Amino acid sequence: MAKLVVLQPTKQPPISLLSSSLSNGTKLCQIQVTLFTRGKAPVTQQLPGESDSDYSDFKSKVLHLKRDRQDSEFVKSSLSAEGYDVVYDINGTRLLASNSQYRFICLKPVSKRCQYHTLHDCILFCCINLKSDILPHCEVDAVDPKSRHKGKLNTESLLETSGVNWTSLRPVYIYGPLNYNPVEEWVFHHLKAGRPIPIRNSGVQITQLGHVKDLATAFVQVLGNEKASKQVFNISGEKYITFDGLAKACAKAGGFPEPEIIHYNPKEFDFGKKKAFPFRDQHFFASVEKAKHVLGWKPEFDLVEGLTDSYNLDFSRGTYRKEADFSTDDMILNKSFALQS
Amino acid sequence: MAALASSSSSSLLFTSPPSKLPSPSLYPLPRFSLPTSSFLSSSLSISPSSLSYPTASRRHSASSFTVRAAAAGKKKVLIVNTNSGGHAVIGFYFAKQLLGSGHEVTILTVGDEGSDKMKKPPFNRFSEITSAGGKTVWGDPADVGTVVAGATFDVVLDNNGKDLDSVRPVVDWAKSSGVKQFLFISSAGIYKPTDQPPHVEGDVVKADAGHVGVEKYIAEVFSSWAIFRPQYMIGSGNNKDCEEWFFDRIVRNRPVPIPGSGMQLTNIAHVRDVSSMLTLAVEKPEAASSNIFNCVSDRAVTLDGMARLCAEAAGLPVEIVHYDPKAIGIDAKKAFPFRNMHFYAEPRAAKDILGWEGTTNLPEDLKERFEEYVKIGRDTKPMKFEIDDKILEALKVAVAV
Repeated sequence: MAKLVVLQPTKQPPISLLSSSLSNGTKLCQIQVTLFTRGKAPVTQQLPGESDSDYSDFKSKVLHLKRDRQDSEFVKSSLSAEGYDVVYDINGTRLLASNSQYRFICLKPVSKRCQYHTLHDCILFCCINLKSDILPHCEVDAVDPKSRHKGKLNTESLLETSGVNWTSLRPVYIYGPLNYNPVEEWVFHHLKAGRPIPIRNSGVQITQLGHVKDLATAFVQVLGNEKASKQVFNISGEKYITFDGLAKACAKAGGFPEPEIIHYNPKEFDFGKKKAFPFRDQHFFASVEKAKHVLGWKPEFDLVEGLTDSYNLDFSRGTYRKEADFSTDDMILNKSFALQS
Repeated sequence: MAALASSSSSSLLFTSPPSKLPSPSLYPLPRFSLPTSSFLSSSLSISPSSLSYPTASRRHSASSFTVRAAAAGKKKVLIVNTNSGGHAVIGFYFAKQLLGSGHEVTILTVGDEGSDKMKKPPFNRFSEITSAGGKTVWGDPADVGTVVAGATFDVVLDNNGKDLDSVRPVVDWAKSSGVKQFLFISSAGIYKPTDQPPHVEGDVVKADAGHVGVEKYIAEVFSSWAIFRPQYMIGSGNNKDCEEWFFDRIVRNRPVPIPGSGMQLTNIAHVRDVSSMLTLAVEKPEAASSNIFNCVSDRAVTLDGMARLCAEAAGLPVEIVHYDPKAIGIDAKKAFPFRNMHFYAEPRAAKDILGWEGTTNLPEDLKERFEEYVKIGRDTKPMKFEIDDKILEALKVAVAV
């Protein structure tokens, strides 16, 4: 029986989805999934639409190692004792940020024949790549050695020198039901409240969203896959989207009328610590052609389909991660109203 | 959720069938310091260092595809070429590349050999075609059979017509004279504008665009056909200004007025990449058949980005000024050489189906372009910037005298 361990920070893409995809992967025989977390949040979540019996079946098969990964001795002993075949490390920077020696310890018990898959958080991916006038970002592009998010980059180079068999997946913005990062949720809140969508500057900035299920599929496809060995893959949607376009796509997904969009100049406002807009104010998109060619991976969802899936299984049921906060909106609206009158 | 499948062998997890794809170590390193996006997808790839390529050249020896360029055989190719505009240079590069690969080429340029249009590039360099063994003729494409004096061809590329009236006679003659493969230069401009770039092959096109009627007709008449949709091009011998528009302003220390936010994406390919895609289609006709190919670079550049890259290539600073054309009563089409919107197609079909790889590297290519710009003395040529002045006046921007 192959044993997988998932190193899991509290904030995460819906890990249940990833774990269940791992256990359902067609190539896999028998996989025991162990989730290694600090235990702050429940490790499994019932997926919307999932039957109670299926969920309890899955839940019973997932083992939970509860300890802080900063506890290096525990990590070392448990990882080596258990003899895991595969380590899924979601968010490699946290390991490095703590202690590079610790990082090394963590790698040691992972045997050479073990596969080490890293999911790079989308925000770090952005910082890793150079800001560029030439796009999309591709895997071969130069990365910025001066980035403060050195963690992710060093993880990759550490893996390269460690001799461990590794794969790195780079998503852009992840979305889908149970999304921990209020991306589409931010737009849905506005649409539900019947409010205009305030978008920074021109609204033609281009971003890219990838459905979490497609990401999970990629996780499974790299498992035991020689073609994935020591390779980096961008994993996201096949088409990119403008900010304005995303507002319209969310409206379509939720069956709302075409939204009113208000563009504003962020320099004219002081929002304090509040984030008035959930996306980086620049073009940010990556080519997924390598994963398509090399792995034969292909996203199942196009954007409107994926947003509809997210809406139907999550937001429309009254569930969301972050309360609606329109305080920055009101600042923007008051100013434009003042200008008009 | 399905139950875990049981199996007796856990080693199943870690064995893979011997991979037919080249191993990761053959993943090509970028030749330049900036992105090339080349990755292993197929067998044939072309080095950009010269325009003449032996047909059997390839960069990777192992491949899951069994197509060989050498098996394509020598072809007789007719290029029907426009006598002006951004696409004119395509025929020039394509002719030279085919000749370098050992094919026979005739290029039929629309109009008269003696016309003033022939004094401009690439036409004033047609000796490069004839000295390489190609034939150059002039005439009306509607009379193509007469113009080529009854010669027969294996392949025809129409790089001229924008509507059915101008291409139909060529298609009909080609069919009746036994041409096997028909290629057509269409335009990525026919894609319907979208919030979801990039334009990919198969996306909706504007039904009323002239090229669309041509594409449909070709597909009806020929069984072996391929359509190519280019965007903008740079390259020596270009008939239409592209990067020059930026250089003109940068070397004269003038602001560069860009409509809108400057973040609009566009696609600017070196014409050698356009030519290499066409050549691949000639040498892999079965693979190319019945396909549409976006004939573009595999990277987008923003409008502001292009201005910055031109300035870097020139080793000079640049001042970019943004304006709203409507607000100041300017026709952006006359004021600026690129579309005032996201206009970005990706060459996915060419990569997937032909194994094509792009080599365009704007930072490097623009350096070469700037060298030529200076060599021909264009940097000191007296010029007027009437529309620019109008824009800058409306924005109250000072101009260096």
